[in-house]
Amino acid sequence: MTADPAAEATAEAGGGTARIAPLALVVGLARRSPTTLVGAAIIAAFAVMAIFAPWIMPYAPDFGFADRILQPPGAQHWFGTDGNGMDVFSRTVFGATYGFGIALPVVVVALSVGVPVGLYAGYRGGLLDEALMRLIDALRVFPSIIVALAVVAATSPSLLNIVLVVGVLDAPAFARLVRSEVLGLRASNFVESAIAAGNPTRRILFVHILPNAIQGAMAQTAVRAAWAVRISATLAFLGIGIQPPAAEWGAMIRQGAEFFVTGEWWVGVFPGIALVFMVLGLNMLGDGLQELLDPRRKADAR
Amino acid sequence: MTLGLFLLRRLVMILPMALFIVFCTFMLVRISGQDPIHLLTGPTASAAEIALVRSELGLDQPIWAQFGLYLLKLLRGDLGNSWITGDPVLGDVLACAPATLELMIWGVLLGALIGIPAGLGSATRPGGTFDQVTRTLSLLGFSIPTYWLGLVMMFVFFYLLGWAPPGIGRIGMMHSPPPTVTGSYLIDALLAAEWGVAHSAFGQLVLPVVCVTIIAAAPIIKQTRAIAIEVRASDAVRYAVASGLPLATERRIVLRNSATPLLTFIATEFTGLVGTTSLIEYVFAWGGLGQYGLTAITSGDFTAVQGYVLAIALFAALVLLVTDLIVIVIEPRASLRP
Amino acid sequence: MLLAVEDLHVHFISRSLRNRLRTARALNGVSFRCEAGEILGIVGETGAGKSLTAHAAMGLLRPPARLIGGSIRFAGRELASLPDAERRALRGREMAIVVQNAKSSLDALCRIGDQLIRLYRAHRGGGEAAARARALEVMAAVGIPDPERRMRAWPHELSGGMAQRVLIALALINEPKLLIADEPTTGLDVTVQAQILDLIVGLARERGMGVILITHDLGVVAHYCDRIAVMFAGRVVETGPVRAVFGAPAHPYTRALIGATPERLTIGRGTRQAGPPPPNLYALPEGCHYRDRCPVAGPECAAPPADRDLGAGHLAACWHAGAETSAAKLLQSRDGSA
Repeated sequence: MTADPAAEATAEAGGGTARIAPLALVVGLARRSPTTLVGAAIIAAFAVMAIFAPWIMPYAPDFGFADRILQPPGAQHWFGTDGNGMDVFSRTVFGATYGFGIALPVVVVALSVGVPVGLYAGYRGGLLDEALMRLIDALRVFPSIIVALAVVAATSPSLLNIVLVVGVLDAPAFARLVRSEVLGLRASNFVESAIAAGNPTRRILFVHILPNAIQGAMAQTAVRAAWAVRISATLAFLGIGIQPPAAEWGAMIRQGAEFFVTGEWWVGVFPGIALVFMVLGLNMLGDGLQELLDPRRKADAR
Repeated sequence: MTLGLFLLRRLVMILPMALFIVFCTFMLVRISGQDPIHLLTGPTASAAEIALVRSELGLDQPIWAQFGLYLLKLLRGDLGNSWITGDPVLGDVLACAPATLELMIWGVLLGALIGIPAGLGSATRPGGTFDQVTRTLSLLGFSIPTYWLGLVMMFVFFYLLGWAPPGIGRIGMMHSPPPTVTGSYLIDALLAAEWGVAHSAFGQLVLPVVCVTIIAAAPIIKQTRAIAIEVRASDAVRYAVASGLPLATERRIVLRNSATPLLTFIATEFTGLVGTTSLIEYVFAWGGLGQYGLTAITSGDFTAVQGYVLAIALFAALVLLVTDLIVIVIEPRASLRP
Repeated sequence: MLLAVEDLHVHFISRSLRNRLRTARALNGVSFRCEAGEILGIVGETGAGKSLTAHAAMGLLRPPARLIGGSIRFAGRELASLPDAERRALRGREMAIVVQNAKSSLDALCRIGDQLIRLYRAHRGGGEAAARARALEVMAAVGIPDPERRMRAWPHELSGGMAQRVLIALALINEPKLLIADEPTTGLDVTVQAQILDLIVGLARERGMGVILITHDLGVVAHYCDRIAVMFAGRVVETGPVRAVFGAPAHPYTRALIGATPERLTIGRGTRQAGPPPPNLYALPEGCHYRDRCPVAGPECAAPPADRDLGAGHLAACWHAGAETSAAKLLQSRDGSA
């Protein structure tokens, strides 16, 4: 159907994205997709938890009460205590700091590696593009957790290193997205006329292409952040990564693993629930963002 | 003949990638700065002993020579010996692989059995109640850490309810593995009519398989939904509706046209599940390839890591090859010629 | 009366990013009729609602398009209120459509012959052999050479013209009472175009099949159609016997479409509207929708124009229609003499 006003209508709605005030956008989005709203609320709650952790925690997250080892949840310790007599509630709250402390820099690293690579590969094309895409394909054969684990194990399990490794592993997702956008944009009229007008490459890349190509990448950030939180926790769980007694959720689950089969479930269950909700919140938020910003997803609206 | 050519072409395409992967793993091991000698010789070895072992393993050679040596051995099917146990890596990998495959195949099969109908149902009325519920469940599946799910399951079904056996290995302590035919303890025990063994193997299998199923189903639901929505909006299906074909026929057309993209997706999903399965194996002490790899990585047993990585890469290549062959059979537009 | 469409309103209802409802008024009171054995041409620029009218008549609207009001009577039955299953039984049997995008509309995973047989048996039942015979017959009728061999072809093996013919064969296999052909000859070369149109016209004459021919090409209308309906902004602005409308176009839009030179019609060159942009369906002007582009618009055009009867079934929705006819005739006679 060439005469499909629906397509025209969607295109028009898409064109208006940039002009809409952020607040109105949020409100509208929330009404349209309650999932996104719930996701945003969960993440907001975790952010509050992370920022106000020192005031929320009843005890220091790494102080062990020698006489209160493995106490079940109760009035004194809401989530009980772990094998070192540390307060599980305080530790779970503190874990949010690690969640954000890893997720945010990972996404920044991934964006700052992936976007330029995708931009350049897509714009230049040729052998370099081909080689980069083959490399990404080769990497995809391996589950990212295995690669992350191997690299972190082979180098060092410091926080900085984890952020860098996970960030770089996350970059191909952005590179691919940006590249495919750039390929489409390059052929578009307005870029061709910008080239014809004699603009320098740098200007075309950053002024004409980037602002348009980056939307899809931005839509992916929440989902990639969810992935970063998950994978860093997994590294800690496997003992390669943030080490106990640091109050990181994965590390806490590792500490609690042996207690699952002996009945002291609370040591591992509470950090796990926190982890599930943070990842879920980011995923829900990401789902909404993708629907809103990803130009290819807009076709779904039909 | 054409099939032979096709396979040959595929092999030629895989080789450089395999070489690249081997190279990367090898370099990763060497740049790690960890010296495996002490693992091999023990803390009491003298300097002379260390030097002897070093030259025996070729570790005193320059790094390129070491890589060449490794490749030569690889061509002869020698993956080297584990630096920790001293066992040949190839034997270990082959011994562990069936356990992993058993877990993965059941998990993906059940995941697809749940995920595909759920995704198709979701796509019939996007935005409807069923769709909302399914999407939220699928998001939850995306968000649950695999290992934690395994631990919670063990707590509930082993500790609390006592329904499941302790999550250690593929078979209860009282039984010995059945004679190997397929590699799956459950199927082999059934084939050998060892009912007690089969029962035990089944019991051990349930929880890990349920975990893999849950983790595998989530992306299958999401992707099936997306594919089915796209197919439903396609000209072909709209035309089927326009020509008044019965609802059943219309559904069949949707399903049939979704099959190829779905199959391709599940194949990549299958290779991607290696990571998830490793964690499940780790938690349930399953003794498969995944657990072998994780242990090798965390303990710094690098010959074992190399063997493991190679095994995964070959497995992925094999899965993709089989998928392509199936696609050629079911898809008239595909052909053996590129 | 085979098909009588009365005051059809279709809106596209979507939500903006701010969650506001946005309504595109795509069809605003479309009325037309098509008798058995008659060929009605529907013309108009892209976005005028030609395809949408066809889809609405077939009952193929899908969200965000929504039928707001109006009546579609087919052979005495009101379709708008007919249950879904009954409409499905009518489609492809009593009323058939030839859609655009022939190649992508065929089921890529089903051989041509099987698609024809499937459609025949879905509506008529009966055995495989009877359906096969009928399929061969109709394929030969639409000018597909070597039908036996083509039966076994896959859609992707067909050329565009061949796919178009298959689509027409599919539409005709159940001998429908009404055929809606939506630009059936786009992308075909002129000889094939003429062949296909001759075939359709022949069937209309022989079997009393009603045909609605949607096209951009006024030459096609002049050559093949009995009556014409000119659409603009979701409304039929002028309708009548082809001779009357072309001879004395009463609506300013029709005149713009035809242009001042009658030679164009006889040569049969397409008259695609290149000039002004189509009207914004979200904010149509009050009164006559053509007002903003109309050269003769006056203050009276702020009120919606009613259809004016110009005699012999020639209707035009324009305040100036009656008065302008003489002027148009003058204009035409002057052009003719020049």
